[in-house]
Amino acid sequence: MTDQKPLLEARQVFKGFFGNPVLKGVDIALRPGRVHALLGENGAGKSTLINLLSGALQPDSGTIAVDGKPVGRFSPAAARAAGIAVVQQELSLTADLSIAENIGLGAFPRRFGLIDYAELHRGVREVCAMVGLTEPLDMPVADLALGRRQMVEIAKALYRRPRVLILDEPTSSLSAHEAGILADVIEALRDRGTALLYISHRLNEVQALCSHVTVLKDGGVTADQSLSGIDGEGLVRLMVGRETGDLFPPRAAANPGVLRIGVEGFSAGLVRDITFSGRAGEIIGIGGLVGQGQEDLLLGLYGAIPAKAVKAEVSGKPGLPADVGAANAAGLVYVPADRKHEGLVLPHSIASNLILPSLGRLARNGFRDRAAETGLIAELAKRLTIKGDVARPVQALSGGNQQKVALAKWLPLDPSVLLLNDPTRGVDIETKREIYLMLRGFATEGRLVIIASSDTPELVHLCDRVVVLREGAVAAELSGGAISEEAIVGAAMGVDRKGAAA
Amino acid sequence: MNAVKTIFRNPPLLTFVLVALVWLVASFTLRGFGAYGHLRYLLELAAVIGIAAAGQTLVILMGGIDLSVGAVITVTAILLPLISPAWDPTGLVGIALALSIATGIGVLNGAGAAYLRVPPIIMTLAMATFLQGLLVIVAGGSAVTVSNPAVILLGQSRPLGVPSGVLLWLAVSAVVLILIHRMPIGARFLAIGANPLAARLSGVSLPRNTLILYALSGFFAGLAGILVLGMNRQGYVGIGDPYLLTSIAAVVLGGTSILGGRGTYAGTIPGAILLVTTTALITVVNASPGWRSIMFGTLILALLLVSGREARR
Repeated sequence: MTDQKPLLEARQVFKGFFGNPVLKGVDIALRPGRVHALLGENGAGKSTLINLLSGALQPDSGTIAVDGKPVGRFSPAAARAAGIAVVQQELSLTADLSIAENIGLGAFPRRFGLIDYAELHRGVREVCAMVGLTEPLDMPVADLALGRRQMVEIAKALYRRPRVLILDEPTSSLSAHEAGILADVIEALRDRGTALLYISHRLNEVQALCSHVTVLKDGGVTADQSLSGIDGEGLVRLMVGRETGDLFPPRAAANPGVLRIGVEGFSAGLVRDITFSGRAGEIIGIGGLVGQGQEDLLLGLYGAIPAKAVKAEVSGKPGLPADVGAANAAGLVYVPADRKHEGLVLPHSIASNLILPSLGRLARNGFRDRAAETGLIAELAKRLTIKGDVARPVQALSGGNQQKVALAKWLPLDPSVLLLNDPTRGVDIETKREIYLMLRGFATEGRLVIIASSDTPELVHLCDRVVVLREGAVAAELSGGAISEEAIVGAAMGVDRKGAAA
Repeated sequence: MNAVKTIFRNPPLLTFVLVALVWLVASFTLRGFGAYGHLRYLLELAAVIGIAAAGQTLVILMGGIDLSVGAVITVTAILLPLISPAWDPTGLVGIALALSIATGIGVLNGAGAAYLRVPPIIMTLAMATFLQGLLVIVAGGSAVTVSNPAVILLGQSRPLGVPSGVLLWLAVSAVVLILIHRMPIGARFLAIGANPLAARLSGVSLPRNTLILYALSGFFAGLAGILVLGMNRQGYVGIGDPYLLTSIAAVVLGGTSILGGRGTYAGTIPGAILLVTTTALITVVNASPGWRSIMFGTLILALLLVSGREARR
């Protein structure tokens, strides 16, 4: 069966955003009657590849082929016409519309130009039965729990009777029972000759359902092979394993100093009741899959979201900072992951962004001291090799340089604790190296650096200690020689080190 | 060519040039427009708008809006004659009391926006409606005549031939420009207006700055109310109504982004003058009040297309 002609192919596709290559010559072929797994760490390019396959994005070069024939301009409409359906990771449902309306949206059966609800409900009832949706069809989606909404999303894809079905982490919000139903649906579709692409971080599901795997790493394909005879540990090994070069600065002998942050029974956002501590001179990595509470841990410590702890000590004082101002006063600073929306005031100049946290400190008698400000800005720009005119809007800078500004603005405060959220996301390799050197320098100077990262090599080679979060709890705490990509990825996915699928 | 480009890139300058052009053309074509007395009168009218728009500029820079400006002007103009104590011969106590009330209303607006998270547009509009109802009860719909000497002096005197109101406007302009461009708080307002989340994560306190801003807006509206009262010698319900739209229009005409984060009071100053000039020109044209309103609205839109245009982002 797998010898059949591929229904949907990507051939040597390249795609970059703002000069950052994301896909570098990727091939993938989806054949009828096969469940194809797409694996890769966060940021490996999986989402971009899905967007290319569904026509949401155009490749910079390379071709998308349907039934072996290359298509020129592939649009979402063309993809739908070719029978390609995607179950998105971010739910694409309209909360105020009913289940039936959501499922039929964009493909409503018409009668005299009006929606033919009788016909719609007939078709919808059929797909709902397949996925076990028993709720009334005219119920608004807003009233459904997250897992049920995901089932609606799947039913919506099925309603279009796809020849190619792409499932992007479909089980992340499903209960075990729902996931079981989905597995049955997938097997039924496969036997019917549908080509399926299955993206999941749950390796046991991949093993149970899929017969072929493509592994993406840094925008390239590192494996494209049959899954027979590969166990959980083998899968992890396929995803990890790359040369790290000399990207990372040498690690100094661990010599932790005084306690800077110590919390017990700490809860904030997704984070539930964890114990965490950090000492001066340490670089601590926070790892895990996307959205397991890494950001909430940092924001909670920073006083930016409500947090509570049974016992807490920050910078030698008991209690958590009440707000950002208090956190800054205690020597804590935060560099957000989304520098465009959270880190920087984009339309404003590099200079005003650099000076924002220092405005009050530099003022004399309530007035701004322009000379002192200009001096400080020049010094920061020099120290971080931010080139060019600082009066330019910060949005004119490249991602890497923007990140440098987001980091540099805190240096005048002489912070004792730096909280960084994915500081190297979308940053070019040279700037990455600069940032790593800087962070190691901060630790050597006796500061505590806490870095949440979706980049596993960064955690392994930069950090002295790594805390892996899973569903808001600490899944593993690794230090020294115990830090390895296998250990981190395994703990993040809930696979134990023997490789037995959880 | 380069000079033209510079003017178009600089909204405050562009608005100034526009005012100068209108004044020049009108002076040559309309008899009496260019007389010193008439131009001085225009500036005097512009001063009220300019002062009311001072607070509005600050609020809009931070991404908010104050729809209670007109109501606060009315409140001040009606309450001041009523609360000025008879034992105070200077009238300054009454002014201080009225300004405190105006500022207090601003603080309430700010508290609603900052702590109760009511959108500013709703908070200030509700406040305006509330105040109007209160005034009908307090003043009962009749006009109140002012006898406060300080207020009359402010509204009527002309030291060295310049109306006191214009001098007050000059002082307000200096204070607001220094606040925006020479004090840390001005830079914080702009940062909040452009990206509140990034500003908050950079240690800028949103509640604190919101409170300060709306308090300032209330204060400046109160100041404008006192000036209007002095010029009219009478306060009545509805006296502040014309200043709500004009205060916002002056800000936007001056090139300040209605979305916040970009702009300066230096643009609002010529913006206020331009508005008054437009009204004066329409008055000269012999037309019914209905047509005047239509012309005024059309002209504001046309002016916005020329000067206050929102830069595409």
